[in-house]
Amino acid sequence: MKADTFRWGAAHIVFIAVLLALGEWLTVNRWLDPTFVGQPSGVIKFLWSNIATGKLWTDLGWTMAGTLISFALGSSAALAVGLLFVAFPKVEKFLDPYFNAMNVMPRIALAPLFILWFGLGLGSKIAVGCSLTFFIVLSSTVAGIRGVSQDHVTLCKTLGASAVTTFFQVTLPGAVPVIFSGLRLGLIYAMLGVIGAEIIASEKGLGQSLAYLGSTFEVNGVMALLLVLALLGVAVVRTMTWLEKRLLHWQ
Amino acid sequence: MSATSLAIAADGVHLSFDGTNQVLSDVTLHVRQGEFVSLVGPSGCGKTTLLNLAAGLVPHTGQGGLQVNGQAPRQGNPQVGYMLARDSLMPWKTALGNAMFGMEVRGVPRSQAEERARAMLQEVGLAGFENALPKALSHGMRQRVALARTFAMGSPLLLMDEPFGALDAQTKLQLEDLLLRLCQQHQQSVLFVTHDLSEAVAVSDRVVVMTSRPGRIVADIAIDLPRPRSIRELQKDPHFHELYAQLWSHLESGWSKHEG
Repeated sequence: MKADTFRWGAAHIVFIAVLLALGEWLTVNRWLDPTFVGQPSGVIKFLWSNIATGKLWTDLGWTMAGTLISFALGSSAALAVGLLFVAFPKVEKFLDPYFNAMNVMPRIALAPLFILWFGLGLGSKIAVGCSLTFFIVLSSTVAGIRGVSQDHVTLCKTLGASAVTTFFQVTLPGAVPVIFSGLRLGLIYAMLGVIGAEIIASEKGLGQSLAYLGSTFEVNGVMALLLVLALLGVAVVRTMTWLEKRLLHWQ
Repeated sequence: MSATSLAIAADGVHLSFDGTNQVLSDVTLHVRQGEFVSLVGPSGCGKTTLLNLAAGLVPHTGQGGLQVNGQAPRQGNPQVGYMLARDSLMPWKTALGNAMFGMEVRGVPRSQAEERARAMLQEVGLAGFENALPKALSHGMRQRVALARTFAMGSPLLLMDEPFGALDAQTKLQLEDLLLRLCQQHQQSVLFVTHDLSEAVAVSDRVVVMTSRPGRIVADIAIDLPRPRSIRELQKDPHFHELYAQLWSHLESGWSKHEG
């Protein structure tokens, strides 16, 4: 098993090295124009100098802060509204068309408005991130709670369990798998919203740097940041998977 | 016999859903304390409805008297334990956690509940599986946990809705044997719904045959097989097969009357 992991890791390293060498070779010989696609050595140089100066870290910090705050706010609001919907189906029935309309609207279109309202700082990024996370987590919360086993509910009834006991002992744990898949998606979308809003207008953040580097034809920098974003995305998904395994070991 | 000494006293119960669809018609059924009574009949004959009435899951909106241990039936009555065909174990709880669940909800202190649940798991043959999650247990084992959960509460009356209906034939026989032993041990009154006649004969003191549209009782047969019983021995007993045949003819007569 260990040896197998090692062999796969080595294969990936070789693959990446070959890919980088190929890119370098193609661009040095001008078969590909580095003005548009960048150059592996240039990307590495960019990353190296930015890691040293700390600009990259500040950007990463802002983007991460925006993402995590949007996720926390958006999903807590969604959980609260989800519970309200389950407790009062009439409220859901009434609000459904409005929520649907908001949900199908491309949320990034709200960014200019949010920037007007909340300024160039973190506030507008959080607003966009929240608007995406909220609806995803909301629908999974409602679906999760509605999907709870009727047998469990019947059992609780015959045992004379109070509504609170039934909720915490049966409904909530039973709904966690579905809610969790919503949370996982919600976190990815929070990041999407924050970076999208940063690209549109911001003072800080990876999205802002990305837009700036792109407009100044610093393609190596753009490629470097895309790499950072990809790694960040992987880290986010990995964290959620780890959490899920711990929380849902019974599945 | 006074109503208070009966586990279940149904006297002339009529019930209809939506005012028109008559589900139960003039059902009179008395279950004595410590007695094991099975309800058999075709699907739709109202046997589950009668059980759910006693459990308080279906409100008694019709006519006739219905008392459970001398009181009007109500949901969550601590004197009543209820068991379903599906094991309804919580997949996130261990076998022990599931066996404790009923007692915990009913306010038995944790340490006491745990002690009782451990003893019950041992009694149903699951010693060593206390920390196993339901996903790691077979259907039969899961239903054993459900039996442990039900019996651990010590409710004087058990209502069981085809508890072995979802099991394969062999596992079913093993669990029937287990149920016989548990009932012998715990002396509870049981109202048991099944559509398996040989199961009904094997476990019961009395089998009540119902027929459908509207649901009514067509026969009430005492099962005078000596206890303790074992499923294996019963198979060899000619009287067991006589009773089985007798029940069959009652069921059939119910059908022909309905068709005629």
